[in-house]
Amino acid sequence: MSSSIEPNDRLFRVPGHELEVHWRSSRHARRLLTLGIAGVFIALLARRPEFAGVAAPALLLLGAGRVQRRPARIGVRVRPSATRAFEGELVALDVRAEGQGDSHVRWTLHPGTDIDPGDVTAADGAQARFTFTPERWGRREIGTMDVVLRDRWRLAEGHLTVTLPKLDCYPAPADQRTKVVLRRLPNRLGEHPARTSGEGIEFFGVREYVPGDRQRSINWPASTRRGRLQVNTFAAERSQDVVLLADATSDVGVPGSSALDLALRGAVAAARAYLEGRDRVGVITYQWGGVSWLGPGLGRRQLYRIIDSMLASDAGYARGASFRRLPRAALPPGALVVVFSPLLDQRFVETLRDMRERGFTLLVVDVLNAEPPVRRHREDRMARRIWRMEQEAIRFSLRELGVPVVHWDGVQSLDLPLAAHTRRPLAARR
Amino acid sequence: MTGSSVPRAGVLRAGVLRGGSILLGAALLGAGCVVWAAAPLVRSGYADFALFLAILGVAAGALRLILAAVPVPEDNYLLPASLRVWLRFLEALRLVPWEEGGLLAILWLEVLHPAPPWHTAVLGAALIGYLLATHLAESGASPEALRPQVRVLAVGAGLLALGAGAGMLPAVGAGAGSALLRLVAAGALIAAAGLVLPYVAAPGPPPGGGRWPGRQ
Repeated sequence: MSSSIEPNDRLFRVPGHELEVHWRSSRHARRLLTLGIAGVFIALLARRPEFAGVAAPALLLLGAGRVQRRPARIGVRVRPSATRAFEGELVALDVRAEGQGDSHVRWTLHPGTDIDPGDVTAADGAQARFTFTPERWGRREIGTMDVVLRDRWRLAEGHLTVTLPKLDCYPAPADQRTKVVLRRLPNRLGEHPARTSGEGIEFFGVREYVPGDRQRSINWPASTRRGRLQVNTFAAERSQDVVLLADATSDVGVPGSSALDLALRGAVAAARAYLEGRDRVGVITYQWGGVSWLGPGLGRRQLYRIIDSMLASDAGYARGASFRRLPRAALPPGALVVVFSPLLDQRFVETLRDMRERGFTLLVVDVLNAEPPVRRHREDRMARRIWRMEQEAIRFSLRELGVPVVHWDGVQSLDLPLAAHTRRPLAARR
Repeated sequence: MTGSSVPRAGVLRAGVLRGGSILLGAALLGAGCVVWAAAPLVRSGYADFALFLAILGVAAGALRLILAAVPVPEDNYLLPASLRVWLRFLEALRLVPWEEGGLLAILWLEVLHPAPPWHTAVLGAALIGYLLATHLAESGASPEALRPQVRVLAVGAGLLALGAGAGMLPAVGAGAGSALLRLVAAGALIAAAGLVLPYVAAPGPPPGGGRWPGRQ
């Protein structure tokens, strides 16, 4: 568990904190003192020297402990292996004490909220390594570390508490491999086969040879049949703009698998999948009091920017919940908009309708997996039924507008609900 | 973002086994001290009460060590009554100095007992062992942690034997004066041991040499 850090480890170069140690008698010392005093007292009262002998080892140990020197301050260095981690990811925490002399050091980890410390929460030695797992997304406090110093004779204990640094915990991305591709793609190089001929690798058709065509693209069987040279043409490969729209207005359901949890995990999965397909991906987070956004971009770093944008969405654009005010950079025309929402907020649904009427191609992933509680009263049952019908009506109205709505339970892969839309290009019906 | 060095299951199991055996040893030593001091049972001087206190102290001390790792929630608002009672019990178990009470009761039982001095000396050795084992169990340390104390414990064992020997010596003369004299001799021995203590228990140099931290 401990002492697994190499001397040239980065931990040794991290500036430590000088902390004051508060020394006090240990329980062991108090017990020895009780035995010593009681032995001497009984020896005097009962005039039995053997009780003085009983007191002697305890008093000697206490006397020996007085000779010891104890450091008033020690240096403590703390270094987590990462400042960012995904949900369920194992993170190591290295700790090291300096200037403790020959005192024995014991570390005890007190984990913060939604931090799973694993099996080991205490370790001995000048340096130690703990592992923990953040369980839920958000800016998490790892917790505190209690350091107990015991002198050589274990008669005095020095206590100090170190507040551990915070950890940015990202939502664990769901499993998504396939991608929804628009029928009309912008004229930009990418990996999706477009409906025009170009320089891709997917077969598009056959046409007559014109001077300048490559000889290797001649289709000899077709040329033989037609009596003229024919060449193969290939589909152009294009990329698309994808805007992920995360609805953070409603968080219903069991913590850990609530609507907001699923929305964030689904959005992260979609961002990763589209970025791996060299698409430009941006994000808009819709929440109470405003909208925050991050313009579409490319590359792996964009994934972390998207997650940071979603987790710190109050720092962005917040002039109201209307998407009409969003700049063109946040919502480029012709972009595919993938929405993750429980569709509980009527204003958000109206916003989706508005976007659809403005010509955006939308795909809604419904992340609602909770219902009002079941109660015995007839009125409650009636209300529940009305609520269900209302939810069905919302989804029906979106489908009527040409917005596909798929349901995702958060357990299965995102590929399954999206399968119907990933097999062929998504057309924006007008 | 993943840590590299994860404790092996074998190491963890060995640590748990070691801690369990030390805890068991402490409980057995405590129980042995109670039996040694109480048998044969006398009926005078609140012996029954002292025996009850001794058993309670040793048993509660062992229970405290067993339940030491049970976590306590930071806030106890809106907890069910049963859980609140359990937390109160844990708090009482951890705050009360059970071992000290048990020690006093055991010594009192030994005083009431018409035992020879060697009997008391054996009890003294067992009590020191009980205290050391209890400390090891509560701090989670290995017996290696007691290595620096070996010389002092050896001196203490010598004094224990001398005290028992002084108790077994026949009285020089009649009256209370001779018993007092033996007591003074035992005290002088302890004082003499205290004088040589700094040489026996001299601390080693700080690791890496140089000055002690924080000292000018």
